[in-house]
Amino acid sequence: MHRRNSLMLLVLAFTLIVSVLPATAQSPVEVTLWHMEQPPHRVERIQMLMDEFNAANPDIIVSQEPQNWGEIYTKAPAAVAAGNAPEMLFAIPDFTPILKDLGQLQNVADFISTLDEAHSFYPAAVAPYSYDEGVWAVPLYNMVQSLWFRNSVFEEAGITPPTTWEEWLAAAEALTTDGQYGIGVPANRQLYTDQTIYNLMINAGADEIYNSDGTLRFSNDATVAAYDFYSQLYQFSPPDSPNWTWGEAEACFANRTCAMIMQFTVITTYDTQAEGDPEDLGVVAIPAPADAENPGAISYANGVMFLTDDPAKLEASQRFIAWLMEPENYGRFLNMEPGLFLPVTEDGAEAESFWNDPLVVKYRSQVETMVANSASGRLFGFTNGNTFPSISAISAQNLLAQTLQLIVIDGTAAADAVAEGQSLMEEAISG
Amino acid sequence: MSASTAQPRRRGVGTPRWLGYAFVLPLMLWLAATILVPLAQSVALSFQNVRVIGTPGEFVGFANYTRLFESERFWEAFGRSLIWVLGNAALQTVLAFAAALILKQNFPGQKVARIWIILSWIVPTVVVVIIWRWLLSASGGIVNYALVALGITQEPIGFFSTGDGAFASVIAINSWRWFPFQAVILLAALQRIPSELYEAASVDGASTLQKFASITLPGLQSVLFVMGLIGTLMSFNVFDVIWLLTAGGPSSATTTLPVLIYDTGFRQFRLSQAAAISVVTGVFLLLFALVFMRFAAPPSDDGEEERL
Repeated sequence: MHRRNSLMLLVLAFTLIVSVLPATAQSPVEVTLWHMEQPPHRVERIQMLMDEFNAANPDIIVSQEPQNWGEIYTKAPAAVAAGNAPEMLFAIPDFTPILKDLGQLQNVADFISTLDEAHSFYPAAVAPYSYDEGVWAVPLYNMVQSLWFRNSVFEEAGITPPTTWEEWLAAAEALTTDGQYGIGVPANRQLYTDQTIYNLMINAGADEIYNSDGTLRFSNDATVAAYDFYSQLYQFSPPDSPNWTWGEAEACFANRTCAMIMQFTVITTYDTQAEGDPEDLGVVAIPAPADAENPGAISYANGVMFLTDDPAKLEASQRFIAWLMEPENYGRFLNMEPGLFLPVTEDGAEAESFWNDPLVVKYRSQVETMVANSASGRLFGFTNGNTFPSISAISAQNLLAQTLQLIVIDGTAAADAVAEGQSLMEEAISG
Repeated sequence: MSASTAQPRRRGVGTPRWLGYAFVLPLMLWLAATILVPLAQSVALSFQNVRVIGTPGEFVGFANYTRLFESERFWEAFGRSLIWVLGNAALQTVLAFAAALILKQNFPGQKVARIWIILSWIVPTVVVVIIWRWLLSASGGIVNYALVALGITQEPIGFFSTGDGAFASVIAINSWRWFPFQAVILLAALQRIPSELYEAASVDGASTLQKFASITLPGLQSVLFVMGLIGTLMSFNVFDVIWLLTAGGPSSATTTLPVLIYDTGFRQFRLSQAAAISVVTGVFLLLFALVFMRFAAPPSDDGEEERL
């Protein structure tokens, strides 16, 4: 009994001593990254990189929490308001103004300068995050949409890959046969539809949604032409296109139900769930009207925002990102989805770790086409050197897509729908 | 057991009155914290101009309510909510009645069937939605495959591709999910109706329809009243099934008031306006409940209307 009491006293004393010890400086700084790269292989790659970083930096523990693009516009502001925000959060350009309004977003201008000296950012990648006398996210990877198809399907139909709208519509019609839709274009009120309709707006000459003074110029003839043409393509798209996001389009292409789709990439899906024949996988720039002056496609750099003002946590977060941007790590990070994520730095574009990935080696010509397409990429609200933070309200409500639904679901004429779209946008950005 | 011991104990004998209040106090405090406080905050929020959660707002009086009542989207969503409630009520009542009457019969496997029927109700909503999206998909869904294979349609149908189709599909799926719950309640009520009544009616030569109208329906009146009240309130507030299936689309065709509240608060980032819609919706449902209880309550056994 006496021995048992002694043991109890010993345990109690130890507990008391441990509990009154200060949180020592030796304790690692813990930081969390929220990202929206949910597919398991991407989560696995990010975890692999974090494990390497954590092993090399015992004073820091970086962990990840995958999120969902469909919810993050709601969840992140709520997390900030509740004081539960992560230290790092992935972003696209129109997402940053929402969090900046909450006052927690850190200006990373100095950090960008440091990284730029070491790696040389492409200016177009940083520009959308630069406004209100600050830089609000570190660009990490670029994405661009292209037109994907199978060469054999075109050869069988006796047609060549389209470069003009006229050829594109004719191809969609010719390729619509029993069990195959000529093209898969989404009509969901969702970001993917915003992106695909914006491809056509760019090529119709309607890439500027804003006038230089910040007023809207969405309702114009070029926008109407883009929407009208989209609705013509939509006739050759599967009936469940109004519910599509990126995954459904890729599946439609992989299982040969869709002959063409507009997508950032299909390489992984095509390689793992379809034929995986690099010779047959075709990719070209998004077709444009024959007289298009400045064709292109939607393209933007995803970045990472810092949501902590705790110096230790901010420093730990920046050390992780700086480590990630080193060429020997950066290529492996980009290749969490080979062929989808493109470099935003000059040394990253030459990194062996990027080009040596087996899937990138196999589909090198497709990746090179995507890199070439990204040179003429644009993003709504961030064109010609202008940045309009109010675009976040338009983007969060998917008003480009909602305008399309007025046409293809409700049967409204394109001109009326675009006019209605502009009034919805004006309401969205009003106080 | 003797007759004296079978007497019910008189309530409160030997126990202080405050003890009863003490027992319910934690629950009342919990309810106040989880219902009254958020409710008060919503009302306060509806008189401000807060946009993104966590940002400050200014007092704007009734501006959000004025804007709301002038909004076409609000009245469209309100109308859709009424259609939603009526559609679900009609479909679920028919299905529940049919299921309850069948399950009341004696047949081999009756017990298994009574358990089996509640499966759709106990399966999580997300699973229900995923299953139905797969079933109804135009790209490989088994329903479309069967329709085309049987020659009923030439091409797959986009069940969620048109406004009317999506609304009807969502009502059907929600009814499929909830009718077993009602069927089980109805079945329990049906079993409480004495079989002697049916036997006596048969002796008197009553038809099946007469027995249903004169015995079954009156016997279920109390249950139908409760189902009508609770079911309407629950149905009006359904958000998960609609949001997960269509997110209120296509082209707002399935945007009922709960969906509009979410959309306004968390996609349009107009939190105060969303709060105003919530308050108006809450008041409407409260009024409905009062009117329903006043005019639809069945008479009690002593001939007076029941009061909840």
